[in-house]
Amino acid sequence: MKLNGSEIIAECLLEQGVDTVFGYPGGAVLNIYDALYKYSDRITHILSAHEQGAAHAADGYARTTGKCGVVIATSGPGATNLITGIATAFMDSIPMVAITGNVTNDLLARDSFQEVDICGISMPVTKHNFIVKDVKDLANVIRKAFRIAMSGRKGPVLIDIPKDVTGAVYDYEPAAPAGITNPMLSGEKDFREAADIIKASSCPMIYMGGGVVSADAEKELLAFAEKLDCPVATSVMGLGGFPSSHRLFIGTIGMHGGYETGKATDNCDLIITVGARFSDRVAGDRKKFGEKAKIIQLDIDKAEINKNVKIDCCLMGDLKDTLAALTDSIEETRHEDWINQLAEWSKKGEVSETPESDDYAHPYNIINIVRSLTDDEDIIVTDVGQHQMWVSQKYRFECARTWCTSGGLGTMGYGMGAAVGSAVAHPERRVVLFTGDGSFHMNLNELATVRSYNLPIKIVVLNNTVLGMVRQWQKLFYGRRFSQTDPHRQTDFVRLAEAFGVKGMRVHNDKDAQEVLSAAFATNEPVVIDCRISPDENVLPMIPPGKTVDEMITEMA
Amino acid sequence: MENKQIIGLFVHDHPGVLLRVTSLISRRGFNIDSLTVSPAAAEGYSRMTIRIEGDDDQVEQFINQMMKIVDVKRAEIMPEDSSVASELILIKISTDGNDSNEILSVTSKYHASLLNLGESSMTFRASGTPDEIDSLISEVGAFGILEMARTGIAALENGDKCIND
Repeated sequence: MKLNGSEIIAECLLEQGVDTVFGYPGGAVLNIYDALYKYSDRITHILSAHEQGAAHAADGYARTTGKCGVVIATSGPGATNLITGIATAFMDSIPMVAITGNVTNDLLARDSFQEVDICGISMPVTKHNFIVKDVKDLANVIRKAFRIAMSGRKGPVLIDIPKDVTGAVYDYEPAAPAGITNPMLSGEKDFREAADIIKASSCPMIYMGGGVVSADAEKELLAFAEKLDCPVATSVMGLGGFPSSHRLFIGTIGMHGGYETGKATDNCDLIITVGARFSDRVAGDRKKFGEKAKIIQLDIDKAEINKNVKIDCCLMGDLKDTLAALTDSIEETRHEDWINQLAEWSKKGEVSETPESDDYAHPYNIINIVRSLTDDEDIIVTDVGQHQMWVSQKYRFECARTWCTSGGLGTMGYGMGAAVGSAVAHPERRVVLFTGDGSFHMNLNELATVRSYNLPIKIVVLNNTVLGMVRQWQKLFYGRRFSQTDPHRQTDFVRLAEAFGVKGMRVHNDKDAQEVLSAAFATNEPVVIDCRISPDENVLPMIPPGKTVDEMITEMA
Repeated sequence: MENKQIIGLFVHDHPGVLLRVTSLISRRGFNIDSLTVSPAAAEGYSRMTIRIEGDDDQVEQFINQMMKIVDVKRAEIMPEDSSVASELILIKISTDGNDSNEILSVTSKYHASLLNLGESSMTFRASGTPDEIDSLISEVGAFGILEMARTGIAALENGDKCIND
């Protein structure tokens, strides 16, 4: 069948089961958008306000569906605007295919209008990238891009396509998508070794991460944890991969993790790491992390072994397979004393309730009310900062793929795009974005998208009028010199929302929080809820960077 | 233990593959002192030889990171005791105030061939292990080295084993 390059792109997307793409048109992708017009009955295109928003939307779509997100942008600034979104996905191992147009082959390398070397720019933040200079290579490159994005440790792949290639006609032969199987790299001997280490342990803990969600291995992890009777701590990325209500769940681990998980890490004799990477925000002082413990690591990426922390035994492969095989290799055990010990630490780490205030709403109060208004399957998106940490501490996640946050790159401005992508993917579920006034200011332009597509996202702005997380560090480590963290902005988020055609509401304090939030969540339309919180609220507890739980800060003014 | 290890890479001969490898070396902060690229025996592939400085963990991490590059098919340590490693040097030595015979007596120890005789210089070509080349440079240093170019290290494992097996 003779098709032009753009039609080949559309056909290849359909081959891969893609029915939704995010993007923004422009000169170098005119041919592609002409094909999208033709294929509009089979491929839905969501137009963002800014390419960054489109990239985050493809990311949110991928995180909440498990499918590969697709984003399209034009050459030059269109392509560079994707970079933060691609880097965000890369750091969190989110599968994405980014398609950028470029100038025609004969204009390449001549500093032509809107020309940029996006392959060079995106190299460090993609799993792989391609420039397709000949239409005969196009179909296979697209197929290969999806395979790379979805196999092994997932991640973003960029395809740069000069404009003449998207217009050139070539034979298109349909092909079925390649089935993706990740080989098990560990053998029986490795599992025996791991089982022996586990058998010798009397106080083990599981440290899980985003890999559990990425591999859809939450059932396998649950079975393993229950058979071993082993407490489970999670990185921020792993939230949702293990039910918060489960008796073995002890919360998040790391800089703003609980006292209990910190004590567990320091006192356990075995850490079983599942799909996590000992980031500095988890490990703190990586040389002291789990000093008394042996470490078993289950991962799909060999380069994570011994990268930050020296481990004793590794099991390489798809977590679904390695967890199931490890569960089969171990004996059923009980760890009552250890679990009781953890419960004691948990009591010690409990934060005292704050009294109701007339001046402000407490962020925990807002989060708890929102939790009471949402179902377990509803999707929670955040931006980056204090609000993100409060949500990671307090929101009780029960299901995988209900949580979108920029864990690795820490991208302020991530939330609006990701919420759009999640809402497009799941019209049947509620999508809540928790954001801060700082993060919201970065990409609130996507309110236009929310309105255009009538996406009933509840945007909860925890508005403390300051850049709270940086301000907190200034309090702790910079003698309260609040350099550029109090912007004195006069933005009225209620009227701002209304200007975009979105309903705006305000929570003034703890007293009206329940009523306002209930009203906002009762509607089936987008609402911005401006929640006034104190600028002096801190994220606690906190382990200072590079330190251990013994130096945990539990109180500060 | 701080040491130097030679790593052989077997890579797809695609545009940009050298950039992918060097960009990774740079952003992961690996310390390398030699990198060579040439066509491999198999068509469509290149062979890279990289000498990296670092402890065993760093070398392991280097290989694991290299293997994540889609175009890299193999990355393996060429162990010092079971590999041959060589490089080639072109070196221009000053004859000003030096006895040419003395220069020749040193260079002949290294089987260096005299390629060109200038008015006040001699240019030699020598090949050998990196240690031999280092030693040649240090011995002729006293005469005055005007210019030199080293190719960097090429290495193959002993015996029948090949990286592309």
